[in-house]
Parts: sequence; structure tokens; C-alpha cells
Amino acid sequence: MKTLSLRNLGKTYFDPYAGAHVTAVHDVSLDVEPGEFISVVGPSGCGKTTILNMIAGFIPYSKGDILLDGKPVHGPGPERGVVFQSFALFPWKTVLDNVGFGPKMRGVPKAERDRIAREYLALAGLSHAAHRYPNELSGGMQQRVGVVRALANNPDVLLMDEPFASVDAQTRMTLQEELTRIWQERKPTVIFITHDVPEAVFLANRVVVLSKGRVLDQIAVDLPRPRVWDELVKDDQFKQLSARVLQMVRAA
Amino acid sequence: MNLMLQIWAGYARLTRRWPGFAAIIPFIPVLALWTAVSEAGLFPRAFFPGPADVLRAFVTLTYKGILPDYLQDSLIRLATGAAVGMALGIPLGILIGTSRWAHRICWPVLLFFQAIGDIAWLPILLIWFGFGLTTMTFVIVYTVLFPVVLNTVLGVESVPRDLSRAALSLGASRARVLWEVTLPGALPNIITGLRNGLGYGWRALIAVEMIVGTSGIGFMMFDARRAGSTVEIILGMIILGLLWYIVDAWILAPLERATGQRWGLVTS
Repeated sequence: MKTLSLRNLGKTYFDPYAGAHVTAVHDVSLDVEPGEFISVVGPSGCGKTTILNMIAGFIPYSKGDILLDGKPVHGPGPERGVVFQSFALFPWKTVLDNVGFGPKMRGVPKAERDRIAREYLALAGLSHAAHRYPNELSGGMQQRVGVVRALANNPDVLLMDEPFASVDAQTRMTLQEELTRIWQERKPTVIFITHDVPEAVFLANRVVVLSKGRVLDQIAVDLPRPRVWDELVKDDQFKQLSARVLQMVRAA
Repeated sequence: MNLMLQIWAGYARLTRRWPGFAAIIPFIPVLALWTAVSEAGLFPRAFFPGPADVLRAFVTLTYKGILPDYLQDSLIRLATGAAVGMALGIPLGILIGTSRWAHRICWPVLLFFQAIGDIAWLPILLIWFGFGLTTMTFVIVYTVLFPVVLNTVLGVESVPRDLSRAALSLGASRARVLWEVTLPGALPNIITGLRNGLGYGWRALIAVEMIVGTSGIGFMMFDARRAGSTVEIILGMIILGLLWYIVDAWILAPLERATGQRWGLVTS
């Protein structure tokens, strides 16, 4: 496991519609410890998705550094797994082959990567769906596949870009609980982007509030685990933390 | 009313068991009209033959071996042209679809040459290559190429960006992304392009065979005109329609549906 550091990270790009340069990320510095779960919240346009896309290597950054264990990263790579809002499962591959895709790219033989994929599918309670195609699954199940596909590749950092934004409210709560359970079992380093404040607080050890391309504040969340919605909705500490973060986001 | 419903129900059951029937039934009135007109003796028989005459010509020509030979010639030309057209068109389409530079350079040229229809090439081709196989193959490849290229480009561009990103962040190289994501993602469109290309190619082939051919269905029809044999001309026309129906409805359309629907890329 490696430490991820953002050092004075900035992103400026040319907007052809506005005909001007736009700065989406001004100056962001952040250290993420191995095994930490960080939520990044902020209003629309605060630059949170841009930051995630830069860490993932999908877009280049204009200034500063992104360091993984002290080494700068450029371009996408398997040590940074990504879970997409759009799920981004390969429609022509079965669930098993989707989850085994990362190991396949590493050159793991078929039998071994099937074993790995089955292990991770079991983790998400999806063993029965191994031979189905993504479009035969519900949105919630598709995103479970999306999460374990990224995990099965054993990344140093798991980047999640509003992964539960396009599933219904009940499913979302179930997925959040499952994610905290999986995180406790495997302890991956997670950066979770969301605009949903209770979700951010529910999941994370630390909530980072962004505003206009800068880090506004960081709040430690030391709620006990395992976290379950039925209990947390009644929990005073959870309510206070959520209210505090919400206030910051709304003022941002 | 009740009887009509019963007939309809019977028809529905029949076509469900043998889907081919649904395709044959609409031709019954056409055939009946044709028979009626030819039997009424409005036109001389040699000028407007009936279905029975055409069937007789079919049997005779098949027995003599002329028809199977000509059909084989036409089909081999089409298959060769289609294979070469795909071998050129799919890589070109992928290049144009993935590279902005290739798109800028090739697209205008492609549109320019697309406008010069297959037959418009014949005068210059006849001077360059003469009456022969080269000219015919050129026209078929040319005809198949454009639908394949344009649909491949469309297919490549329709692959969601997140899919390539997902593959890259799972450790795929650019080459692997091409093979594992771009190509399968574009496949339904590529098959659509092939389907269109073969349709255009089939028509172009017949036209070219009429002008430069020494064999093939198109040649048979044009040669029959010289002999004044309307029977053979109509037989040729029927074969063209039937053969295309078989290829399109039984091979290409199911292939297109299979890739698109299985993957949920086509919503129907």
C-alpha cells in the first residue's frame, strides 16, 4: 500500500464556448494514507470530478504534482482503480469476464483469473450472476460489479466518482453499507467523490470539503464501524457532523 | 367476424411455427396478378411470359448447368469484393474513428469519392483495365468500402469514453483497448455497414456484369436481351431478389441483432 499525495495541484483548460481559459482546480494539496477512506464533497463546479480525473490520469494536470509513494503519476494505470458513475462495464463480456479483466491485462492465466473473479463476486454477493451480461442486471447489481472489478485488480488507490448517483435511494443505502463492509474487510485506500453530504459522512474516515477549486476544510469522522443506516440516522454525532459539513457545502 | 378472427389466429400460429411463411404470403397476390395478366393474353407470350414459363426456363438452365455456373461466378465476385472491402474498410474506419488527425485528413476525401458512384468509375476503369475481372472487382470493392468505413467510424465514435478509460485504468495498453473495447464496441455498426455494403455491392455487381461481363447473372440477363428472351431476363430479376432476401434476412440481419441485442447496445 502506498501514500497518495496531491501537491498544489491545479487545472486550467481552454473553454472553446466561453472563448477563455477556465481554472477548474486552483490549488489543492492533500495526503491520503494507506487504508484511509476519504470522501470529497462540494457543490457542482467545485472541481471534485476534475481532481479525480487527474488522479486517474484521464486528463493531464496544469500545475503541481500527483505523487504515489513519492513518484509522479501521468496517464491511467492499474495501481489506481476507478469506479464510474456510468458503471462502464463491458457489455460484451460476462460479469465474470468483466471482473477478471484487470488480472487478464496482467497476464494471469484464465483459470486463476476466474478464481480471483469468483472470490470478489462472492464478496459482493454476486456469485449467482457470474455468467450473466451487464444489461441483464439491475443498476445496483451493475455497480456492485463495477466496484469488485476495480478491487479485483488490487489497486493502491480506489477512485470512486459519484458511483451511487444513478441508482435508486433504497439501493443506494444498501450499496453504501456494503461498501463500508467491504472496506473493513479489505482496507483499500479510497477516494470517494460525491455531492451527497450524508453519504460522504457515512462512508469516510475523513471528509474533504472543496470550494471553487480549493480545499475549504477537512473533517475527521470517527464514527464506530460497522456503520448501518438504521443506527446512524438516530446517532447524534452523525447528525452533527452531517449538519456541519452541509453548512460548509452550502456556504461554499 | 368470428371466421376472420379464426383465420387470423391460424395465420399467427402458422407464422410462429414457420417464420418463412410470413415472408412468402405477401408474394401470393403479386404472383396471382402476374399470372392473371399473362394468362389474359393482353401481351404476346414472348413479350410478357407467365410464372410457369419462367419456372420452365429455371429448370432448363439449371439442368444445362448454365445457371449454377453463372450464379457461382456472381457470388464469388461479390464475396471477394466484400472481403477486400472489409479488409480495407474496417482498419481505415478504426483509424479515422480513433485519430482526430486521420479524421481531418481522410473525411473530406472520403465524402468526395463517395459521391462518385460505382458506375461513374466504369469509363475510366474500362480504359485502364479493360473488360475483365479487375474492373469488376474494383467496382465491388469500391461500393462495399464506403458503407463499411462510414459505419465503422460511427461505431468507434459511439463507444462510450468511460469504457476505454475503465480498460486503461485496469491496466490495458492502447493496443489492448483497441482489441478489447473499440472493436467489440463498434462491431454492431460494422455489421450494419457490411449489410449495407453487400446490398449496394450486389446491385453494382449486376450492373457491371451487364457491361463488362462474360458470365454471371447480370451477363445472363443482358445476353438474353440480345436474344430477345424475356423469360431469362425475368428469371434473373427473380434470382436477384430471392438471393438477397436469403442473405439479408437469414444471415446478416440475425447477425446484426445478435451482437446488438445481446450486449444491450441496441434497444429494441
